[in-house]
Amino acid sequence: MTDKEPKQVTRREFVTSVGGVGVGAVLGGLFLRGFLLPDQVLAIPASKGYLLIDTKKCAGCESCMLACSMVHEGASNISLSRIQITQNPFGKFPDDITQSQCRQCPYPACVKACPTGALHADDQNGGVRTVDPAKCIGCERCIEACPFTPSRSLWNFEDGHAQKCDLCASATFMGEKGGPGGMQACVAICPMKAIKFTTEIPVQKDSGYAANLRNEHWGNLGYPTD
Amino acid sequence: MAKGGYVGKILYLNLTDGSTKIIPTSDYEKWGGGHGIGSALFFDLVKDKTIDGFNPDNLVTIMTSPFSGTLTPSASGRTEVQGIGVQAYPIPWFTRSNFGGRFSGMLKFAGYDGLAIHGKADKPVWINIINDKVTIEDAKTLWGLDTHETQEEIWATVTGSKDARDWWELSAKRDGGRSTQKSAVLCIGPAGEKKNRNACLLHDAGNAAGQGGFGGVFGSKNLKAISVIGTGSVPVADPAALFATRLELQKRFGYNVDDPTLESPVPGQSLYGIIEGHPGYATLTWGASADQPARPQGCMGCFKNCRNNFASGLANGNQCVEGLYWSASGVLSEQMAATTLLDKMGINVYDVFYAHGWLHGLYKQGIVGPGKQIDSNLPWEKYNTYAFIEAFTKAIAYGTDIGKDLADGVARAAKKWGRWDIDTSSGALNMPQWGFSEHYDPRLEVEWSYGSVFGDRDINEHGVNWHVHWMPLVRGAFKQDPLLSAEALATAIAKATGQNDPKGYDYSAEGVYSDAKIEAVAWHRHYTRFWKQSLGMCDWAWPMLINYNAGEDHEGATPSFEPRLYKAVTGNDLTWEASLELGRKIWNLDKAIWVLQGRHRDQEVFTNYVYDVPTVAPYPLPVFENGAWSFGTNVGRKLDRAKFEDVKTRFYKLEEWDSTNGWPTKAGLGKLGLDNVAAELDKAGKLGVDGK
Repeated sequence: MTDKEPKQVTRREFVTSVGGVGVGAVLGGLFLRGFLLPDQVLAIPASKGYLLIDTKKCAGCESCMLACSMVHEGASNISLSRIQITQNPFGKFPDDITQSQCRQCPYPACVKACPTGALHADDQNGGVRTVDPAKCIGCERCIEACPFTPSRSLWNFEDGHAQKCDLCASATFMGEKGGPGGMQACVAICPMKAIKFTTEIPVQKDSGYAANLRNEHWGNLGYPTD
Repeated sequence: MAKGGYVGKILYLNLTDGSTKIIPTSDYEKWGGGHGIGSALFFDLVKDKTIDGFNPDNLVTIMTSPFSGTLTPSASGRTEVQGIGVQAYPIPWFTRSNFGGRFSGMLKFAGYDGLAIHGKADKPVWINIINDKVTIEDAKTLWGLDTHETQEEIWATVTGSKDARDWWELSAKRDGGRSTQKSAVLCIGPAGEKKNRNACLLHDAGNAAGQGGFGGVFGSKNLKAISVIGTGSVPVADPAALFATRLELQKRFGYNVDDPTLESPVPGQSLYGIIEGHPGYATLTWGASADQPARPQGCMGCFKNCRNNFASGLANGNQCVEGLYWSASGVLSEQMAATTLLDKMGINVYDVFYAHGWLHGLYKQGIVGPGKQIDSNLPWEKYNTYAFIEAFTKAIAYGTDIGKDLADGVARAAKKWGRWDIDTSSGALNMPQWGFSEHYDPRLEVEWSYGSVFGDRDINEHGVNWHVHWMPLVRGAFKQDPLLSAEALATAIAKATGQNDPKGYDYSAEGVYSDAKIEAVAWHRHYTRFWKQSLGMCDWAWPMLINYNAGEDHEGATPSFEPRLYKAVTGNDLTWEASLELGRKIWNLDKAIWVLQGRHRDQEVFTNYVYDVPTVAPYPLPVFENGAWSFGTNVGRKLDRAKFEDVKTRFYKLEEWDSTNGWPTKAGLGKLGLDNVAAELDKAGKLGVDGK
């Protein structure tokens, strides 16, 4: 016998590597239901909604952050926004501004990490990965588990629970129906129309969803359309 | 009391003894916010209004508005600065400036509606605000750095890295909140450290509080920077209403980037944005892309996003004239580098951007140069090279060569060199009033020039100007007809302001002296003091008197949206009329401060070229001549001295000021609830006589 023993893959390694980072595989079109892991069967349905952001179209106005926090919390607070825009004012386009939205990962590390089921795929709202604050014990494992920086699950220090993008399913201050079947505040408000809602699982890349939402009118302004 | 918008505290800092205290915002809420509160604080806390701007007793207020840090469209990102300025000539009045970006939102998130800075530190310091933790830090390692370096060093100190983009904990425990953001920093560069009269305050890449010389005032206080980061919430009285109103405004009036109703006929032409408001149009004559990849860049909460960030990283966030500082080489990358250098040095572009051309003209006449009457060893023979503008800019920042005199502001330098009278008489030095560079033609666009000379500075308020001057000019430049006829334009503006008399927007040789024009000037003072300078509504969106993306009649968002937004955020009802009256109150308070500083009607005059030199270039403005409206070319026009003095008299009477000296009266101030102001004027022997 010359072959090596098959490498044991731990659940954490598998989920972390596949959750969204380092995939390189086109998942759009695949209808993922579940998969078998060494010690547990996971059956997390894919989300019925995703936010695509065109990283070159964003103007860094942070209107999405103001909107997100306001429609969820009833007050304006970018620290509680479930979408984060970060920027270096002196940076060189396109690395000057970064947009960090929750990817509604097909294999959500945050859901896996939650010991109480507070963070779950909400089947009442199209499988959106969301936190039930009543069940959250504040362990922050979801925040640690998120493979992205900054973590998409965030700590609500005012109310003492984790929270994350729920595609506005619980945006009670929006005055419109939210969730995958409804409106998303950031999509509606973005003055550059740089955020788009889609039901198709987007192409996964380490750097983000590759989304180009710029048409010939953008080019007419003198900006790049590639 | 408002149910939203305000966060409740104004932070007062005394740099002399390092003490801080909280002033409840509720004590000043009746002044609205921004400039209104800033002026009121100044009036209360500075007993001797005759002091110099460099005096430690000068109070600098840095104020947000109830709209700051909220979703209010193009009203969330501005911060207002007040205090005795040092730039204006011959008398530096109590003045104001403002800047965009994300500072005001951050200040609100930290829990403050504003800052009031008094005194002078005995060595260079910076103020570090992290939520409710306020410390005055030693700025020894920052002093000498340019404005960009200063901010990067502060970010490294506060957040642990110059460009961190991850969650960081603001306090030792998680209940203090986390942020992914860099702190918002307002700082001075070398120019401010040297107490230059034309030094600006700079925030992020290109947001500058330029006019007034507040950079020099900070320098005189040994104050290098203010850094603020917060994780708190700004309450909004009716979030759903604010959300819906914002969406409605964007849909009706915004530029739809995917499918615009009106689009520049020439690709990449920024100038057309003055009409349809496309993103990135603030780089004006360059075109948005400036020959390299770019994106639009906007202040917090804006729906227009008028600036740009570039692939080179140069001239990021620059706006309008900032980017036009110097272009003599014809090479765009050098033009951008010049703008960035100016920002890094922390110099007010509006004081110096004409100056190098004026001085180059004098060089060609043999008046400027080595050993000449104005002795200068700057490379004037290489004026159209970057090496020249680099040397010129640094000379001003560091006070070398003629920069030593220019550091006192161009007007004072001109006076010192014996050029002030001759060059402002010919118009070679186009500074119409108070030593500020001309913005629009003072002989023609009179609500601009009158508003400036009756006030403290170049007004820089474009709400009427976008329509009466730029719209016909830009459309003509693209060989298109104006979108509204002159009559329709004047009528629409008059309707939106509530004046309802189109003759207020007649710029003919008769029209600029009419009663209707004077009423238009007064409306402009009152609207801008409240909505723009106290509520923080940005000059590039508000007032929205007309909107060319909307409907056939092109009705704009003004006057219906301002009170709607105000109600959604604060929960308070405010009629249009009441808002203008509040603006009139704040304008009167400012006037009282100027009077205490020594203001008299005899000083409110223009420099000679305004009266003596006729216009030579076509300048479109609506005019009513020979019984008909048209866009006149207005060539051969100048202002008549006697007629202007008569305008002044009638303007004072309209404002209930003593027409013999321009001083507010007891009756006028009483109607505004300003009896205490009348008392102080009376004590100083400067109360106007009722009915005069």
